Amino acid sequence: MDARTRILSRVKRALKDRPKAELPGPLHPVPLPDPLELFLRRLEENGGEGRLMRREEVRSFLEALAQGFSGAALGRTLPLDLRPPLPELPPEEAPLGVSYALFAVAETGSVALSSEEGRKVHLLPPTHLVFVEADRVFGTLLEGLLSLEALPTALGLHSGPSKSADIGQVMVKGVHGPGRLLVAVLT
Amino acid sequence: MRAKARFYPKEAARLLKERPGVREAVTGATLHFERNRLRAYAEVPIEEWRERAKAVKDHVLSHLDRYLEEAERRLLEKGVRVHWAEGPEEAHQVLLEIVRRRGVRRAVKAKSMLTEELGVNPFLESLGVEVFETDLGEYLIQLLKEPPSHIVGPAIHLSLEEIRRLFHERFGTPLEASPEALAGVARKVLREAFLTADLGISGANFLVAETGTLALMENEGNIRLSTSLPRVHVAFVGLEKLLPRLSDLALFLPLTARAATGQRLSTYVSLIGGPAKEGEEGPEEVHVVLVDHGRTALLADPEAWETLRCLRCGACLNACPVYRQTGGHPYGYVYSGPIGAVLDPGLLSLEEAYPLPYASTLCGACLEACPVKIPIPRLLLTWRHRAVAEGLAPGWEKAAMAAFRKVMESPALYRLFSKALRGLPLPQDLLPLLRAWTEGRGALRPSPKPFHELWREMEEDRGRQN
Repeated sequence: MDARTRILSRVKRALKDRPKAELPGPLHPVPLPDPLELFLRRLEENGGEGRLMRREEVRSFLEALAQGFSGAALGRTLPLDLRPPLPELPPEEAPLGVSYALFAVAETGSVALSSEEGRKVHLLPPTHLVFVEADRVFGTLLEGLLSLEALPTALGLHSGPSKSADIGQVMVKGVHGPGRLLVAVLT
Repeated sequence: MRAKARFYPKEAARLLKERPGVREAVTGATLHFERNRLRAYAEVPIEEWRERAKAVKDHVLSHLDRYLEEAERRLLEKGVRVHWAEGPEEAHQVLLEIVRRRGVRRAVKAKSMLTEELGVNPFLESLGVEVFETDLGEYLIQLLKEPPSHIVGPAIHLSLEEIRRLFHERFGTPLEASPEALAGVARKVLREAFLTADLGISGANFLVAETGTLALMENEGNIRLSTSLPRVHVAFVGLEKLLPRLSDLALFLPLTARAATGQRLSTYVSLIGGPAKEGEEGPEEVHVVLVDHGRTALLADPEAWETLRCLRCGACLNACPVYRQTGGHPYGYVYSGPIGAVLDPGLLSLEEAYPLPYASTLCGACLEACPVKIPIPRLLLTWRHRAVAEGLAPGWEKAAMAAFRKVMESPALYRLFSKALRGLPLPQDLLPLLRAWTEGRGALRPSPKPFHELWREMEEDRGRQN
């Protein structure tokens, strides 16, 4: 008998006389009145930086941002008009990663990133700029998850810069992932 | 991991004597976690959350066979290789096969308590694989060759000074280096490891049966990297980690974060569905190892099965006045603190973990903190009852309890003893039991008046005032 059979039969035996507990019904999303404002506030509380941006502002924003960087790694699904005027570098070398989120969550200040646009771009460059459409900013994580038709191979929720307090309880940013997370919400 | 839980009281006393800084470090860190948790709980309808989470877990556990089969089916559909392991032996076999077939030389590892149970690191090292713990705290204790002291903060027992000294000896950093500088050194070493490792190893916080999705929570980004960069990812998942639906994550992820660190959500959450698709970045192979290692035995236990709801958030450790004195090491097994005291006797055996259910004042703070309402105080008593019934309690304890009962049942005897204890100078240095007590604490000072006298005086005072 293999481990699977043995384990499952032990589970069945253990549960034979155990009363069955009912599954509570699914949670229902309760939309929040102003998710954009909450998102920006919570992201900032998490140590991230966020701002609203009109589509026509993007060009000048990217031009100003580009002054500070020698190149950028780009998410594969990043729309053309969101690409900074910088040479494209592999994520291992790029000081900046730019990506395009599936959605954002206001209550937790998170952006959801799909492996379809790569993964290194989200993690290796020290600064990470994420664009998200305003109509993809949900109040709750539940709404965000339910908004997806299918899950990507890997979905990453990023809610601020990488941090750790493992050294003497002192908060350090940028331990493994990016030390700066910038989110531009496109209105 | 070999359990040394039997030696709990001795080890606790030894630690307090030999490493007095640990108490200060652990108390500081846990109280910090505890304050954050309280603030985070107060921000949401926490009672509803906890009740709901408990109900979902109870449902999963009472239908565990069904959910295990469903999760396995979904995982297989997406190309994940699923393995079942009773314990370390079969878990090691999975690793051995991968290491041989793929010629693995280097592995990066996310923090996982289950892999501590299974002794994954020593096994891989015995195969000549270089293993890097990549959580910063876990990396520190790997350098020191120590086990984790806390489920969430494995290195909370270390002071900044100790870490500075460690890095000075190891990497030649100055003794006054800032935490940022030290983290920078670790980042550099580990970044190199991420980029060159052939194998990434993780645990899992949850496995969603409906979609076959692994969920992992962290703050540093090391789990995202460990599960994204190497060509092979192996996730070790305890049988109890299942959730029915994807939507359940919308409760369990924030609840776990609030309980563990007081965050609204951990900085990073990875939801992993399988190997990379054609042309996608990510591991070519994803393996899920479903591990029993004592869980089915716990499931069959009419009382202790409730410990299987545990989310491994560490909130009960932070709330525990006993854990705070020493951190996790003296408990002698992977899980320490209140949850360790009720889980370890089930995962090991009561005989092996005998003293742990006594490592508590039964104050109940653990139950108040627990996000899934595991009745830890009640289970501590359950294990104590069983220890007495199985004859594990020492003879002197039985005699002492019998004497205590005699005295407590007779008012005359009670008064006599109470008077004698107050009147006589306590020969603390002569009684080994009292000496053990005072080694780590202040001396015992009897009250000048017995409680019932104090009470009577208080009542009389009140009578006069009215």
